[in-house]
Amino acid sequence: MTRRLRVPFTLLAAALLTAMFLSLQSGSLAIGISDWWQGLNAQQSLVLWEIRLPRLLMTALVGAGLAVSGVALQALFRNPLAEPGLIGVSSSAALGAVMVIVLGGLLWGSVSGWQMSLAAFVAAAIATLLIYLIATRNGHTDVALMLLAGVALNAVAGALTGLLITISTDAQLRSVMFWMMGSFSAASWTAVLWLGGAALLVMARLVWLRRSMNALLLGEAACLQMGYAVQPLKWQIMGLSALLVGSAVAWVGVIGFVGLMVPHMVRLWLGPDHRQLIPLSALGGALLLVLADWLARSWMAPAELPIGLLMALIGGPFFLSLLLKRRGA
Amino acid sequence: MTSRVPSTLRFDHVVFEAQGQSLLKGVCGEFSGGCIHAIVGQNGAGKTTLLRCLSKELTPQAGQISLQQRALRDWSFAELAQRRAVLSQQQELAFSFSVTQLIELGLEVAGGRFEQRQSRLQVLLELCDLQALAQRNILTLSGGEQKRAQLARVLAQIWPDDWQNDAAFAGKWLFLDEWSDGLDLKHQVQIGCLLKQLAAKGLGVVMILHDLNQVAQWADEVLLLKQGEVMAQGDTQAMLTQANLLTVMDVEVAILPASGSTPLLIFPARHSH
Repeated sequence: MTRRLRVPFTLLAAALLTAMFLSLQSGSLAIGISDWWQGLNAQQSLVLWEIRLPRLLMTALVGAGLAVSGVALQALFRNPLAEPGLIGVSSSAALGAVMVIVLGGLLWGSVSGWQMSLAAFVAAAIATLLIYLIATRNGHTDVALMLLAGVALNAVAGALTGLLITISTDAQLRSVMFWMMGSFSAASWTAVLWLGGAALLVMARLVWLRRSMNALLLGEAACLQMGYAVQPLKWQIMGLSALLVGSAVAWVGVIGFVGLMVPHMVRLWLGPDHRQLIPLSALGGALLLVLADWLARSWMAPAELPIGLLMALIGGPFFLSLLLKRRGA
Repeated sequence: MTSRVPSTLRFDHVVFEAQGQSLLKGVCGEFSGGCIHAIVGQNGAGKTTLLRCLSKELTPQAGQISLQQRALRDWSFAELAQRRAVLSQQQELAFSFSVTQLIELGLEVAGGRFEQRQSRLQVLLELCDLQALAQRNILTLSGGEQKRAQLARVLAQIWPDDWQNDAAFAGKWLFLDEWSDGLDLKHQVQIGCLLKQLAAKGLGVVMILHDLNQVAQWADEVLLLKQGEVMAQGDTQAMLTQANLLTVMDVEVAILPASGSTPLLIFPARHSH
């Protein structure tokens, strides 16, 4: 681990572990420090192992994945405003998942999480490629075009999702609605395994690519002249970020702005070097969503606020402030 | 191993076409290491296209390019990166690297131990007059300051530890597209002298310059390019003549011959159309 990374990494990891520990204790069934000490009773350990722990791990993994997918897309478009939610990748992934729920439901009766993840991944990959082809010419990205294409893609994916909803059954409608707002309530160990596997695989590969991603920030021509194979690099970034977004969306629905806020704050802290940016964004994204989920569960308890809604409440103003800052610059 | 091979960059009947337009119509020429070469021509003459072909960024439709007597297509990008560095005309900057971080990106390509990279960094900061700006965010620098920072980053890619030795840069190449744009006079002279110094240590420099007086001041050799064709190539003084410049640049000029350490001076003739 590089010198620059050690202290921030330790700090963020400690903060994440503390937040996770505190979040585990909160809920309708109280589990206090003394309970940990004396040993949990049967009910407590059931709640902990079957409900809270998988949910907590899933929250952290989704946060890490979404933040890192933002980092990857920002390198691809060489713009800090590229984010899977803003450019329509997340909503396309959701469309892919809903398509499988509704159409797959008609064909095969029921659908598995695996099928939904695959559909969400494919849709996310297509969306990323589409936005890239529209917004990037000769290796230069037009930011306005990228964001506007994102608006259009969000509209189309939203409309097609709506269309599918009108032909869905009541049971399908319930599961579809859950994508519209994002929720961690469907957590399971299967989801944790799938998400954990995908997140580890993708992050390991991105960390491996950190040097060429740094060079890519200087432009495609500069990256090539610094000795990195640009074209395979871009394909990999597209595929890897689509895998992160697809698997996150398939399990918890659309949660926006994580990929915008977390990398932005890490860059303000330590600069845009991917050696620090990738691991710290992963930790930061996990921390942000663990805290947000804790808030979502406790704010209006026993009612639970959809996490996607909460993140939009925080992220929307954050995005606006970024735009205002760019206007000022 | 490679210092025994004469350092050359040769291109033979290179043709490049894009969108139905013929940008290079079979250009031939040769650049030698240890020398500063300038490519001179009007806007759209194909100067940047030629430089991008020579750096393998573009692949010509026909013709041969060879570096150190080996076909350019047989060089991998990773190998090339150790040998030649390129400063493009347009630099894309959207992320707030510090000047030091930017130069470190170039140093990473060259590799080496941490201590080696640190000492190279210090040398480059000094030579490009960036010490006072080392921790500054590149997005907040002026155009000329950014240019110097990018030049240091590009040099870092091919910078040897023994850079002060006689043939330290033998077999290495530097391609510069408009390096002097935005630089004030002091830094033009500083960077120009640095390039001269490095060329004397074996570095092959190929630069595109619009200011003919700068060409006269820095270049050893000139390649005249007109509408995708090479008009002539040779010694700078022999190339920069009234007749040649009228043909290539389509401008009538007056020329004050060089005297002593003062290079020749070119200015547009009065009453020209």
